[in-house]
Amino acid sequence: MRGLQLSLNKGQKLRLDRALERLESLSSKANSDASVTVADNISVDYEDAILKGHGTAEMDGRVVATLCGVVERVNKLVYVRTLRARYKPEVGDIIVGRVIEVAPKRWRLEINFSQDAVLMLSSMNLPDGIQRRRTAVDELNMRSIFEENDVICAEVRGFQHDGCLHLQARSQKYGKLKRGQLLTISPYLVKKRKQHFHYLDQYGIDLILGCNGFVWVGEHVEVKDDMVEDLSNKSEQQNVKSWNMMGDEEVEEIYTPPETRQNICRTANAIRVLSTLGFMITVEVVMEVVNLSISLDLDIHEMLGAEFYVIVAEKEAERRSMSTKRR
Amino acid sequence: MGSVKRKSLGEAKEDCDAPPLKQQRENVSVGMMDEPVACLHDVSYPEGYVPRASGPGLINQEHSKPAKEFPFTLDPFQLEAIKCLDSGESVMVSAHTSAGKTVVALYAIAMSLRNKQRVIYTSPIKALSNQKYREFKEEFSDVGLMTGDVTIDPNASCLVMTTEIWRSMQYKGSEITREVAWIIFDEVHYMRDRERGVVWEESIVMAPKNSRFVFLSATVPNAKEFADWVAKVLVTCFTILVHQQPCHIVYTDYRPTPLQHYVFPSGGDGLYLVVDEKGKFREDSFQKALNALVPTNDDKRKENGKWQKGLILGKAGEDSDIFKMVKMIILRQYDPVICFSFSKRECEFLAMQMAKMDLNNDDEKVNIETIFWSAMDMLSDDDKKLPQVSNMLPLLKRGIGVHHSGLLPILKEVIEILFQEGFIKCLFATETFSIGLNMPAKTVVFTNVRKFDGDKFRWLSSGEYIQMSGRAGRRGIDERGICILMVDEKLEPSTAKLMLKGSADPLNSAFHLSYNTLLNQIRAEDGDPENLLRNSFFQFQADRSIPDLEEQAKVLEEERDSIIIEEEDTLENYYSLLQQYKDLKKDVRDLVFSPKYCLPFLQPGRLVSIQCTKNDESSSSFSIKDEVTWGVIINFERVKAVSEDDANKKPEDASYTVDVLTRCRVHKDEIAKKTIRILPLKEPGEPAVITIPISQIDNLSSIRLVIPKDLLPLEARENTLKKVSEVLTRFAKEGMPLLDPEDDMKVQSSSYRKAARRIEALENLFEKHEIAKSPLVDQKLKVLHKKKELTAKIKSIKKTLRSSSILAFKDELKARKRVLRRLGYITSDDVVELKGKVACEISSADELTLTELMFNGVLKDIKVEEMVSLLSCFVWQEKLQEAQKPRDELELLFTQLQDTARKVAKVQLECKVQIDVENFVNSFRPDVMEAVYAWARGSKFYEIMEMTPVFEGSLIRAIRRLEEVLQQLIEAAKSIGETDLEAKFEDAVNKIKRDIVFAASLYL
Repeated sequence: MRGLQLSLNKGQKLRLDRALERLESLSSKANSDASVTVADNISVDYEDAILKGHGTAEMDGRVVATLCGVVERVNKLVYVRTLRARYKPEVGDIIVGRVIEVAPKRWRLEINFSQDAVLMLSSMNLPDGIQRRRTAVDELNMRSIFEENDVICAEVRGFQHDGCLHLQARSQKYGKLKRGQLLTISPYLVKKRKQHFHYLDQYGIDLILGCNGFVWVGEHVEVKDDMVEDLSNKSEQQNVKSWNMMGDEEVEEIYTPPETRQNICRTANAIRVLSTLGFMITVEVVMEVVNLSISLDLDIHEMLGAEFYVIVAEKEAERRSMSTKRR
Repeated sequence: MGSVKRKSLGEAKEDCDAPPLKQQRENVSVGMMDEPVACLHDVSYPEGYVPRASGPGLINQEHSKPAKEFPFTLDPFQLEAIKCLDSGESVMVSAHTSAGKTVVALYAIAMSLRNKQRVIYTSPIKALSNQKYREFKEEFSDVGLMTGDVTIDPNASCLVMTTEIWRSMQYKGSEITREVAWIIFDEVHYMRDRERGVVWEESIVMAPKNSRFVFLSATVPNAKEFADWVAKVLVTCFTILVHQQPCHIVYTDYRPTPLQHYVFPSGGDGLYLVVDEKGKFREDSFQKALNALVPTNDDKRKENGKWQKGLILGKAGEDSDIFKMVKMIILRQYDPVICFSFSKRECEFLAMQMAKMDLNNDDEKVNIETIFWSAMDMLSDDDKKLPQVSNMLPLLKRGIGVHHSGLLPILKEVIEILFQEGFIKCLFATETFSIGLNMPAKTVVFTNVRKFDGDKFRWLSSGEYIQMSGRAGRRGIDERGICILMVDEKLEPSTAKLMLKGSADPLNSAFHLSYNTLLNQIRAEDGDPENLLRNSFFQFQADRSIPDLEEQAKVLEEERDSIIIEEEDTLENYYSLLQQYKDLKKDVRDLVFSPKYCLPFLQPGRLVSIQCTKNDESSSSFSIKDEVTWGVIINFERVKAVSEDDANKKPEDASYTVDVLTRCRVHKDEIAKKTIRILPLKEPGEPAVITIPISQIDNLSSIRLVIPKDLLPLEARENTLKKVSEVLTRFAKEGMPLLDPEDDMKVQSSSYRKAARRIEALENLFEKHEIAKSPLVDQKLKVLHKKKELTAKIKSIKKTLRSSSILAFKDELKARKRVLRRLGYITSDDVVELKGKVACEISSADELTLTELMFNGVLKDIKVEEMVSLLSCFVWQEKLQEAQKPRDELELLFTQLQDTARKVAKVQLECKVQIDVENFVNSFRPDVMEAVYAWARGSKFYEIMEMTPVFEGSLIRAIRRLEEVLQQLIEAAKSIGETDLEAKFEDAVNKIKRDIVFAASLYL
């Protein structure tokens, strides 16, 4: 929220400040003592055996923080959860990244982490869907799958023995993202959820909230499997509609209807507003903002106007106070 | 044959078009049916399957040549299976161990290698993986191995691994999962294993969607069901129709060498052919065998109370049965022979009885010694002096071997090699020898027909018998295999028939949910534990029974509704009174005739009224009076139960039987089973002494008769019964004088009095009841009774129906998720938290307890050796009786562990997970803490063996498993960023990973 740069008029400024103040008062105070900066002491009971997790180190018999953030404790484990730092990958995270290099048997991706991530050729399904070993020919054709500057989505597989961060694409729903917008927000604003892929069917768009703070808003793509296609080409009686449509589309130039484009922009703007205000981003909140903008009859570009920011902040303050009261 | 199959596939296609959502089935029996070699070929199609012109490996088409040719002619079942492989479709091969399933696996590997695809071969046991690795490596060079212990060339095209490794690879999304075209599951019938079976189910459900399977299994009667599941699960796993593939079943009962089954009665001295090679059961010779059983053994067993040790307690040395048996086998040249017994100790003991036997000549002895010492060469000098090593050689040199899981792995392997080379003529082995690599003998001996299965002794199941007898008969060498059953007690022919000729055990799901699985499923973006449950074989089997049950319920309901009774209400009222009356009577009788009260009155000669055996069950009488008769007590005896706890019971609580002389009809049916029916005195029948439980006594009279001492002659018994009749007529008018419960038997209990009063009241009610006077009351009551029974049946069917139609394990899933939330492993919206991530990594030990222990800092403060020692409690499962207590520091740690475990168990209990807290806590065994502590401190193996009475092999297995746990802990420590702890675990691995415990397998 700090460093919010908006051209507000006086009335708006007043309202915004009030809303933010209200939000501040609602957030729990408990955590504020626990926030630390680098080299701050972390108070622990030295009698006990403690486990020092991420972001901590021992110095002259004291436990100190090596990161800025909030001290978290799980039983005897003490660690620092960072706030506005770079993304720190964890196994199983869904991320969106951009290809920066095509290297032997692998792609290198920028994912907002302190090092580049690696997606091996063997960590993703071949376009023909056949299970087989990768050949030199496959390697030569890597650019037909992804090339530089492609935006792709994948899952964090973990750190391998060489210290590299490896990614993987388990199924067809991972892979190249086309016809949409990539937004970059602070990773801490993306709440870890069970689902990070969202299909907003009333707008016909996909929303992928990458854990690394890269958010994808794009036209909805039907997840299809090559095996089905393969199958159906051979037997005419197959009657799965979805891929039939896709099959036809692939022949002609794909065309995204203007409504969908508008929906994509509207959703993207909603995320921009939320991230500027520093609100957690979940699919529900995004949808609320989108609906709000529609109900106010705002044009897409008007969503980035100061007034809308203020309204969103006020709404959020209201919503939170409601929920705390209910509690 | 080929044309037959192709044609039928074509037909199936046409069928498919018409009703696309029906499972298609077809049965093609291949080969001429009168030939024993025939096999059964069947296909399970997924719903809505459309046959394709070619399989997944479109590449296949170009190859008209088979991927591999064999130097021998293939059996029909092998040809059939290979045809399926060639068309790129999954196949399940169900055949006996010796039939040659490996051929199918070899072909699948050759095919994949040719197509530049990866192939994975999984087996349930590490040792088997090692052996298979060697076998495949010789055949194809591009082979790798991955077990928990060793990893060789993980980039090879053909990977041999244990199923557990394959499962965790799938969770971790290893790249292999995207390259594997064929997955071979060997010994897939392991799926019914209570502990590990679930791993197979998980692996199959999560398998890469475009890969194909080869399942190799022992004969299972429900192979079709399994294949149906495979065909189904691979479709529904993914929301769209992705995985369409049929699964073929090739089933054969064929044995390359036919078997002859003999019985050797203990104490006797001959073999009796019971089942000949054509599979005919010889009743007469079985009876002869049983008659030859020497009865003295019976008494001996009784004295010792431990009949199962009968064999061991028998005379040692040359007179023992096993010695006689082996001698006979050698004389008749039935060697080599495998003697199966069911405990490690017994195995060794039997081998020791062979001390006087020498089956090898000098040349062989030299060879054995060379092989033995070259294998032992990798051991250190200290380890070579281990008693197990030095004691084994003399035995081996004489051609006698022992093989069980308690042996040092290296010894086990030497013995396997020696056996395969024919240097061991007589091998004493446990059941584990019957699984896996082809190691046949001419003869197989079962030293016992009963087996301890954890809680009780039971007969061998026919499935186990089939598996073990599968080792008899060497293909191409022996004309027939010989199975000898050593019987040391009376065995009903029906039991024997069931065991020898019964069908194989069905493949049933042993699915259960573990927290580790649950967490791994939750963590993956598209993982869904419910999906796993829905697709489990367990669910499939449950769903399958639903239509059947529904049908049953419907039929029963119709039958019930067709019964119409007049005046049903009054009748029902009467009926319920009757029930109450009967219940009360029974209560009173149970009270009065509890041993405590009635024992003093069970003197010989007392007249006793007993219940007659009912004619048949349906026509149970509905009058107030039970049908009773009279008899004379001869004796009573305490029942000896099998379990030994009985000895501790007070005499009052034990159950007793009473011998009564009365009139009976003795009826013999074909299987020589005697059924005795007690009849009223006046009816014709022979007087006999029968043994009845006390509960069958209806009343005791106060009269005692003098009975003759010798009741063996028929007249004596007849006369006594005549006397009884006389007494009865004398008292006919006033009724027999009975022992009064209160006055005579001193039953002083308020409940008795209360019950007695209620009985009186009820009796009054009966007299007043109008319907009692109706002449047809008996018949009507019978009809009503039937109706009631039907209602009860319907109710129970509906209950099972209800429980199976909902998702099996659904409640358990909920409860387990509750546990995870309560302990902070996952959040309320199913996101895995830090603790959950740690538990995700731990699959070789109890994940919750270990994670809690770690987060409580217990592992942080203690020394590395102590930590290793503490962790040994997680991997040691055997219970030792005489284990020494660990020293105080270790004891203290162990208490901490127990506290943690108790806490975890209690949370589970509170969350409604079914768990026995104390049992759970006691499942952590401190028995080897000291030994492992010493090992971590650098002691020699022989030193730690002196500290514990456990088998060498068991300890080695535990330490190896411990290392596995440590590796998982290293990963866990990494994920929480605790570098000190990580270093500590790594240090621990270095400390324990040395010498004989981690000696490489000879097969590598």
